[in-house]
Amino acid sequence: MSDQGMSGWSLELLGAAKQRLEALGLDLARAPEEARRAAEAAHATLMSGAGVRSATYLLLILFIGIAVEWLYWTYAYSPLRAAQSAPALTPLHALRLGLRLLLLRGSGLLLFTAAALGASAAFTWPPHVHPLVVFATLFLLVLRAAWMGVGILIAPGRPHRRLVPVAPRAARWLAAALLAAIFLLACGSFLPAMVESGGVAAHHIASALRLAAYTAAAALLVALSLALFGRPGSRGAAGAARAPLFPRSFPLAMLVVFVYAVWLLSPRAAPVAAILAVVVGLQIGLHDMVYFYWHSEDETAGKPADREALPAIALSLARFVVALAGIGAAALALDTPVSALAESSSPWVGVGLRLLGVAVLALLAHGVWIAVRSVVDQRLSRIAPADPHQPPDASSRLLTLLPLLRVTTAVVLLVLLVLSSLWALGIEITPLLAGAGVVGLALGFGAQALVRDVIAGVFYLAEDAFRVGEYVEGAGNTKGTVERITLRSVALRHHNGPLHFVPYGALGSVRNTSRDWVIDKFNLPLPIEVESEKIRKMIKKIGEQLKEDTALGQHLMEPLKGKLYRVDPGVKVFRCKFRCPPGKQFDLRAAALKRIEAALKEMGLGYAAGVNTVIVKG
Amino acid sequence: MRGEALIRRARLASGLVLMAFVTCHLANLSLGLRSLAEMEAWRMLLTAPWTRGAGLWLLGAAGTIHLSLGLYAVAARRSLALSTTDVMQLALGLAIPPLAIAHVVATATANAVSPGFASNYGQILAVYWSFAPFYAFLQLFVVVFVWMHAAIGLYSWLVLKPVWRRIGGLVIPVLFAVPVLALLGFAQAGQEVLDKLASDPAWKQMILDNVGRIAKVTRELADFQRAAIWTYLAAVAAAFAILGARILRHRRRPLAVAYDGGARAGGRHGLSILEFSRLNDVPHAHVCSGRGRCGTCRVRVESGADRLSAPGDLERDTLARVHAGAGERLACQARVLDEGVAVTRLLPAFADASAARAPQEWPGGQAAAAAESRT
Ligand code: FES
Repeated sequence: MSDQGMSGWSLELLGAAKQRLEALGLDLARAPEEARRAAEAAHATLMSGAGVRSATYLLLILFIGIAVEWLYWTYAYSPLRAAQSAPALTPLHALRLGLRLLLLRGSGLLLFTAAALGASAAFTWPPHVHPLVVFATLFLLVLRAAWMGVGILIAPGRPHRRLVPVAPRAARWLAAALLAAIFLLACGSFLPAMVESGGVAAHHIASALRLAAYTAAAALLVALSLALFGRPGSRGAAGAARAPLFPRSFPLAMLVVFVYAVWLLSPRAAPVAAILAVVVGLQIGLHDMVYFYWHSEDETAGKPADREALPAIALSLARFVVALAGIGAAALALDTPVSALAESSSPWVGVGLRLLGVAVLALLAHGVWIAVRSVVDQRLSRIAPADPHQPPDASSRLLTLLPLLRVTTAVVLLVLLVLSSLWALGIEITPLLAGAGVVGLALGFGAQALVRDVIAGVFYLAEDAFRVGEYVEGAGNTKGTVERITLRSVALRHHNGPLHFVPYGALGSVRNTSRDWVIDKFNLPLPIEVESEKIRKMIKKIGEQLKEDTALGQHLMEPLKGKLYRVDPGVKVFRCKFRCPPGKQFDLRAAALKRIEAALKEMGLGYAAGVNTVIVKG
Repeated sequence: MRGEALIRRARLASGLVLMAFVTCHLANLSLGLRSLAEMEAWRMLLTAPWTRGAGLWLLGAAGTIHLSLGLYAVAARRSLALSTTDVMQLALGLAIPPLAIAHVVATATANAVSPGFASNYGQILAVYWSFAPFYAFLQLFVVVFVWMHAAIGLYSWLVLKPVWRRIGGLVIPVLFAVPVLALLGFAQAGQEVLDKLASDPAWKQMILDNVGRIAKVTRELADFQRAAIWTYLAAVAAAFAILGARILRHRRRPLAVAYDGGARAGGRHGLSILEFSRLNDVPHAHVCSGRGRCGTCRVRVESGADRLSAPGDLERDTLARVHAGAGERLACQARVLDEGVAVTRLLPAFADASAARAPQEWPGGQAAAAAESRT
């Protein structure tokens, strides 16, 4: 885009804005005169056969609409009362009840509108009246829908049923001001259309009406955002515990002013600006709104909501949905097929669309990332913190895999995001990928080992060959406790201290000595003259004592037993064995030997004395 | 308390008479769908009897009674805790007399000035559709308002009766069809009259003469009409003033009622328990909106039974009809006179008219209360 183009474009914009303001001034000046004439014409039409007929039909469709809705309520009143009177236990429950109310009341409203509109189609109206009636019905629909929606969302006077975080004091005001603003906005969009459809020249009146209604609505909304979100402590229950991040009131007011200014200068762009403003405004408030639903439960559980996975997921989902809905609404409001937009010659549109695409992708990736991360973090924080030198337990597999999963997700997401963003920005990624393919081929030969490592690692992990904290021995005399697992290698801490980094490809067959149980055996050489049965009993007794009265004993999975194993000249060798969980065998063996030594001493036998005897005689 | 029941009866009866009149009137109008002549032919049977002799007297008496009893009911209220239907009934009812009075006066005058003129549908419709559309607007509104008021009243009376199961399917279509057909007939006949006006100058001249004569008198009658409307407004204002005064007088004595489930409601001395609930948004069934007819508002008084007003005949009848147990009262009839009343609501807040028609199917007791707390 050249500098010339930019400045030319700005000048054009300013010129158009000036023209538009002048036209508005003209409309204002001419409106009263036009209104007088239109009123005369309307009066003349009204006080005639056509007027009476219109009034008759109007009352008819009103009556039909009311009757149909009333009939509906004779059935639906009971469920409505049930939904209204049920106590809301939590905000989430209130949300469910609110949705039920919305469904019930919304159906009534839609029935009314459909019946009235349908009936109106059956009559032959005097000229120009039918559009008027349709507009009036829609106007009514909007007002009633607003009344219903605000009532359900803010629930003035019923704090437990409130669906958005609003301080009780502010609820009534907020509801009233919102309703007034919606009423003004609806006036601004429906009344001019009604006036213009009347068949008399009313362009200036319509324009003046619009100006008045929108100006009043903008003023009201600015005042509302400054008054309600400005004061500290009025940010609702959910916000009270958090430090303020940034001011809410000012940006909100600015958004309103922005939309108003856009409308003033170029009404065609106003819907898009309004949608943009609503999306931004919602994004500002979304955190509080989403956490509002988890707030009260967390208070009782006594832990900060920010650690929870669910609200985080809901929040990013909500952000995503809001943004997407905004884009959809903007496309609808622009009334241009998206394909036509994409082909539009204006560079701004192109760049905007592409950036939009990137934003959507980023949001999507962010949502997935938040979801994965918070789930992983939550699981990790529930498992006891990792200490590689404690014996592993059931959760150690998670402890091994979860961080790996997190990193993998991040990498994959990032790569996908970068590639698809490039694609969305219109940068051809096919040659990039192809180039990567050629380079990859070259690299591939070099990186054969790397690939082998990664693949092998996948299988080791999938087969659960080892976990963090286990003592393993691999090929090539590598052994130690697993301290860290990465995509390519495993870090083993040798019992003497050194840390081996073993790539999976070089790990070979793994001997995992930390799984399930170990059997420990040791020999006990005694003089040849000892009575073997007595010794066997002694060892068995020691085994039982060990099991019963020490903290270590509880680890014994099979009791200590001993029996005569070999007879050498002058020596009887007894072999003792026991079974225990991995890692406990050393302490257990030491404890057993200590007791055996004491027992032998008591029996007056020299511990291992027989060995000497053999050597001397032999 | 017999007086109370009598008043209710009188209001209902007068309302039914008025409704019969309006139905005849509208049925006659709907014949306009076929032709003006048909309308005229049936007129003798449907509308004429109401415009003279006994019919006129009956109509006048019914109108006066219904209106004054309606205003009396407003004045006798103790609070403004109204349901949506009540608000609509009240607003429609209050709007009808000033709208109708012009019609009544105009018809009466026309009858007096040129006998026979007003008793001809073609001529009246010509006036409405061509010479004085303003009256047509008034008329249209009166028709719709009156019918809605009547339909709501009839429905809320009948729906509580066991017989509703059998006739309900019949009554509702009729309630819908009558005004729709009447308005359609009005429009159709109006078109016919307009055509006739265009094609028959002599007829048009005759009507113009008559209109001119009536117009002279109507000017004088406008004063009378204005006076009537002012009187009516004064009566309405007086009724509301009495209500306001009662509210203000008892404002000084705030009381509270305790409910099952730990709810509490504050209110004034003399309000009914139901009004306590409604003013405080405590869920409480009230299908007949406090007229003491449905029995869905009944409560078991846990303590402070002596601090409630004594039950009247109406309440006793209703309680007997719904097989209420000992110590049970109608919340809409029992008025709170002092501190220390505690009650248990016996029906869930979503109870509907079937609870009045077939009380045995709605076990008013712990089961119902439990059902409510579960939702
Ligand atoms: S509300 Fe119907 S009897 Fe009390």
